[in-house]
Amino acid sequence: MDFPIFHIDFIGNRMLIAVDAILHVIINHALAVGALPVIALLELSGIRTKDPRWDRLAYRLLKIIFIITTTVGALTGVGIWFSASLINPAAIGSLIRVFFWGWFVEWIVFVSEVSLIMAYFLSWQSSARTPEAKLKHLRLGIFLAAFSWITMAIIVAILGFMMDPGNWMSERTLISGVLNPMYFPQLAFRTTLAMVMGGMTMICLTYLFTRNDLPFRTTVLRAISSWSGIWMLALIIASVWYYRVIPQHMLANIPVAVTTQEYVSWNSSLKWLLTIGLSFVGWVLWSSVRHPGQVHGAKYLASVLLLFAMLGQFERVREFIRKPFIIGNYMYANGIRVEDYPLLQRDGILQHATYAGIREVTADNKVAAGREVFEQTCTRCHTVNGINSIRGQLKTMYGDKPWQPEVIAAYIENMHGARYFMPPFPGNKAELDALSVYLASQQKRATAFNGAQTNGIPKPDKISASTVYGTLPNLANPHGEQQ
Amino acid sequence: MTAPIPRDIPLPLPAPEGLLEILLIAAFLVHILFVHLMIGGSMFSLVCQIRGLKIPDYEKLAYRIMQTVTVNKSLAVVMGVAPLLIINTLYAPQFYASSALIGDMWMAVIPLVTLAFLLAYAHKFWWNHFLNIPELHIGIAALETVLFLVIPLIFMTNVNLMLFPEYWPKVTGFFSAMLLPNVLLRYLHFVSATVLFSSLFFVWWAGRKTFRIEVQFSELRVIDVRRFFYAFAFGATIFQILTGLMVFVSLPAQGMSWGFTVLLMLGGLVVLPAIWWMWQNLTRPGHLLDDNFKQILTCFACAAIIMGIARHDYRENALADHKAAIAEKTINYQAAVKEAGEQAQLAAIKAKENDVAAPGATAFNQNCAACHHATLPTVGPALQEIKEAYANNPDGIAAWTKAPGKKRPDSMKMPGFPQLSDDELTAISQYILSH
Repeated sequence: MDFPIFHIDFIGNRMLIAVDAILHVIINHALAVGALPVIALLELSGIRTKDPRWDRLAYRLLKIIFIITTTVGALTGVGIWFSASLINPAAIGSLIRVFFWGWFVEWIVFVSEVSLIMAYFLSWQSSARTPEAKLKHLRLGIFLAAFSWITMAIIVAILGFMMDPGNWMSERTLISGVLNPMYFPQLAFRTTLAMVMGGMTMICLTYLFTRNDLPFRTTVLRAISSWSGIWMLALIIASVWYYRVIPQHMLANIPVAVTTQEYVSWNSSLKWLLTIGLSFVGWVLWSSVRHPGQVHGAKYLASVLLLFAMLGQFERVREFIRKPFIIGNYMYANGIRVEDYPLLQRDGILQHATYAGIREVTADNKVAAGREVFEQTCTRCHTVNGINSIRGQLKTMYGDKPWQPEVIAAYIENMHGARYFMPPFPGNKAELDALSVYLASQQKRATAFNGAQTNGIPKPDKISASTVYGTLPNLANPHGEQQ
Repeated sequence: MTAPIPRDIPLPLPAPEGLLEILLIAAFLVHILFVHLMIGGSMFSLVCQIRGLKIPDYEKLAYRIMQTVTVNKSLAVVMGVAPLLIINTLYAPQFYASSALIGDMWMAVIPLVTLAFLLAYAHKFWWNHFLNIPELHIGIAALETVLFLVIPLIFMTNVNLMLFPEYWPKVTGFFSAMLLPNVLLRYLHFVSATVLFSSLFFVWWAGRKTFRIEVQFSELRVIDVRRFFYAFAFGATIFQILTGLMVFVSLPAQGMSWGFTVLLMLGGLVVLPAIWWMWQNLTRPGHLLDDNFKQILTCFACAAIIMGIARHDYRENALADHKAAIAEKTINYQAAVKEAGEQAQLAAIKAKENDVAAPGATAFNQNCAACHHATLPTVGPALQEIKEAYANNPDGIAAWTKAPGKKRPDSMKMPGFPQLSDDELTAISQYILSH
């Protein structure tokens, strides 16, 4: 709210983060955390059996991992930062203040991870000269796998914190954020899921790469399938744990009854997907351990896709249950702190929005002022015409009947009661009216909605350029002049 | 023109400001070093590849250079995370504002860097596939180099824009921010630094003992290669001083100070002996190139550190007043928040007292009010209509709510409310009818 509002009206701000983040998490889980141990395992088998085919296969797989993780994987990770700081700077800025040292440690681990993957991959050929060098090289691979897991373990603390700050609300320390009640079940679930995903992805690629050497394919697929099968058992245990801890914990935190209902339905869809997915993948792995040469590649591919879907659904539920907040009980998804609400609802949000162009709603400026209110309060999640568009929402509710501002206002005023995922409206009554007039005006002729990256920001007025508030004394400089 | 004064994130900094500033300067220097080596490597690989069309040894050299690029590019990205994190922490109100103002190009950094990296891999890993189609290979290298050169311009535009809040209201979109005074000159200064530092790196790199074995030239001598890079380093240094002076002259006054000026002069002076030594090495035939190489490197390292500190000093000068105003506004805003919060609490206590008089009101507001307005048909029918339909029949409302159907063709079906108890339903029904 206190930043120039970046907005993309077609794919929407939420979708921008979502596409980037899902891509990142899939690459991270399937190609880094889960796949690197498999590579080390294959290299070890090569050393043990003295059969060069293992080594060649491991190197080929690692090359794909290297190329994807150091380009799309790394950059989509940075992309989460870029997009988050454009779309909800207040939220990412607050998280960074709290988790700075966590992120700093994450960075050091990350530097080690990148250095290790370069050392591991680029020295593969040269290390083959002596058995000692080869063993040293294998050690690099084991370190690499460990570091890539640690990066995930740190970031999961931050994700868990966003869902439920636990004791942080009262203590506000880094460690209380890390030890929030979501952490360990989530970490266990992600770790095991990543291992199975990584194993399955490597199985798929191995299937492809060994098509001309069927006896070897049988041996390798049995090895990776057994490894993944063990993680599969752990994944089942972790899913049960996740299910025993997280829903109860979340349900206890949800204040609105209807939310509970919706949450249960979302979570049960995850439960079904998990049950079906785990059974199918488990069955494929079981057949693959027993008769590795006879399982068709399509089944492996279907397993990988199912695992991706499970991860995707898990992330959706995770995102879903933190609404209407972006940082649980501290900041709403619109970037406004819970604490700010009384002030904004009393004075109006436009009075306190540094980059707003209109301060007061008058009889003549309702549409323009309403647009400003929309920009400040709705655009973090909604577009006018694109994905999750406000026009679409209103059309679902009112169809082609004329949209009436009073009716829309009456709805918005109370919507957080029934639509648990919506934050309460943060402005005052006049702004609510203006917003409703603006929204109603969009039924017939929607105006293009551009963000600050196109429109820029208005010239600073008295409010924007001042450092004091209304009649309150200047606390920062009690002896200074009143502005 | 006045600057907009936003509020800061109302949470304490995670560490003393001075410590964060030292970390920022150090982490940024490391990051930018690898950025220079990445971009410079890509440029030199392209140049050598083109020369390689006539002198095949240069093609071998181009391939070896490309091998350094794939390492340096990964380090450039990963080393960039720390300065980004610290900038986010120290300059949240400025950095987020300038990023948003050039938001689409800022976001485009991600796909552009990804594409540049993938092109760099295609360029390197498929080297032998392209032997018979050098045009395509050189085309890929050129595109990769152009991308590598465009990306710093976006960064430069952003870090320049964040320094001058009074320019923000003038900016509409990336290109207007790019054309602010000083950005393009600073960019030129940056590009010449890229040539300088990467050519110095390659002088060292080609001087390693294993280089001769790795590259396996048929005619070219290692000394020629090193001389080739030395010449670039020398030229780039001269260019660097010229663009540096132009940047200095054109810097907006907001951040100027004597301390900053002295630092810049010092940074420039440190380089002078290096220029002399490089000239000696280049002009005296038979002179060993390694003469004074360590000293030359030390000079440039000192200059880079001094310039890094000066750069930060300018930023702090430029933003000093803005930062102070932001801190003031944040404190005052927090006081206003507190005052309004207390008022609202009092009001809430009063409202609670009223609620005792009307049981069912809270449950109604929480579960029903979003869709049922007193007089207007919003999502569901208005209370007036419900009252007419269920006059003296509260049980009818409760029964419907337990198992709702769809009555009206043009509105949504009402969801069920199994979580409401019979008592609550009765209270709500009575509240509706008596309202």
